[in-house]
Amino acid sequence: MTPVVPAMQVDHVSRWYGNVVAVNDVSFALGAGITGLLGPNGAGKSTLLHLLAGLLAPSAGEVRIGGRTPFGDPRVYSMVGLVPEREAVPGYLTGRQFVRSNAELQSVADVVAATETAIATVDMADAADRPIRTYSKGMRQRMKLAAALVHDPRILLLDEPFNGMDPRQRLHMMELLRRMAADGRAILFSSHILEEVERLAEAVLVVYAGRLAASGDFRSIRRLMTDRPHRFTIRSSDDRRLGAALLADPAVFGVELLDGRLAVEASDLGTFARIVAPVARTAGISLHELRPTDDTLESVFSYLVRR
Amino acid sequence: MRPFGTIVELTLRALVGRRRTVLIALLAWLPVLLGILVRVGGGRPDAPPILDALVIRTVCPLVALVVGTGVIGSEIEDGTLVFQLVKPVSRSVTAVAKALVAAVLTAILIVPPVVVTGLLLGGFGPDAIQTSVGFAIATLVGGTAYAIGFTALGVVTSRALIVGLGYTLIWEGVLAGILEGTRFLSVRQATLGVASSLTGEDVGSDPLAVGVSVVILTVVIVGGLVVTASALRRFQLRTAD
Repeated sequence: MTPVVPAMQVDHVSRWYGNVVAVNDVSFALGAGITGLLGPNGAGKSTLLHLLAGLLAPSAGEVRIGGRTPFGDPRVYSMVGLVPEREAVPGYLTGRQFVRSNAELQSVADVVAATETAIATVDMADAADRPIRTYSKGMRQRMKLAAALVHDPRILLLDEPFNGMDPRQRLHMMELLRRMAADGRAILFSSHILEEVERLAEAVLVVYAGRLAASGDFRSIRRLMTDRPHRFTIRSSDDRRLGAALLADPAVFGVELLDGRLAVEASDLGTFARIVAPVARTAGISLHELRPTDDTLESVFSYLVRR
Repeated sequence: MRPFGTIVELTLRALVGRRRTVLIALLAWLPVLLGILVRVGGGRPDAPPILDALVIRTVCPLVALVVGTGVIGSEIEDGTLVFQLVKPVSRSVTAVAKALVAAVLTAILIVPPVVVTGLLLGGFGPDAIQTSVGFAIATLVGGTAYAIGFTALGVVTSRALIVGLGYTLIWEGVLAGILEGTRFLSVRQATLGVASSLTGEDVGSDPLAVGVSVVILTVVIVGGLVVTASALRRFQLRTAD
């Protein structure tokens, strides 16, 4: 039996630009299915995708896609489709001409049929004869996807594919990607929006500041995110007494009296949400405001990295 | 044949659609305008000095610079090159297709005005025709070397226009007059060498022998192709995320 080659494999890969480290000692292996590459802007998501696409050479470590080293080996592109985020499409071409030229460069057997199939797949037949410069951002994204699909690749790399799409286009694109994953393709897409990844991805890679902060199935990562220590500020009728009462509960690590507010550090979101109201009620204190102070994605990521 | 033809077509369409290309195409006809002005004014100076000064020293390198840096450099800049690169096409094929576009378009832009200017100034006598044809062939060969050299420059540096202008104006324009040795590293001198041997005119001062000129131009053309292909093979996106 021959061992199964992972569709994408990144082994202790780092990439730096001068003194700036964009990707720092990242390792993972992915097979068929949809994987979300989640992280805030500037985390190194595009760099990772470009390394996998052979558009960047790793400074250290090894990148393999479909069992090959992509950098300097154009043959990998017959099994890989790339939808870059920033790269501009030639606006003077019509959508159909653009997809067709991609089919020609892929040397597919039937250029016309492959072009029409790809355009129909992204539901862009109506606008296919308009110049790309007249497209909205969402239409452009879909035409880029059509161009990446034209040779029926088994690996798809998509950089922020939902950027600029309206909700309907987003749903349509998600449905499409699900279908393609069900056919056995390996799909890796990047996003800085948790909800997109949550709705689409079976597996998740979380990157933050160039490091792989977490990886696995979405639910376990979601749990990590909600189970982390949370900070809140509270305004109440008696902050000092409420602080003392809260501190009696083991879910609360610390309290601090700030000017006119009470800062609380709790072990996790769920437990604290359950105890805060009963504790206040028992002590006869009314709560005016309860505000999580670090519920941004950014703080979630930095917690995952420190963990 | 298909990937090659597609790259040629995409490159040419992008190039022709750029304002820069249109402006430089107009510049290429400047010598013709000058020739007309001279004729209208009733004078008829020798063709060679004008063709030398205006075409070989100015129009030929400038047109080749804009066209040569346009075939790859501009596509790296605007991000459209990536779509051509992420295809199972040997980067050498891409390099040759793009260099071919640069060379042919440069020739199409500069050779006709050279012939017209030559005939306008020199007339249709056998000597004048020899001069015009000689200059046309010299600019064809020189323009090809310039275009392919500048194509390579466009892949190697993102400041190809500035570097190319510096080479043309400072290295070839100023230093060649001061330091004898730089003649051998000058496309212009090699082009003048070819022109002077074909026309029998004493073009420029102390032109290079035709053999040396041909060797220099061949080295630039072959070297430019090799550099372009190898730089494309090792191409990396310039922007970090």
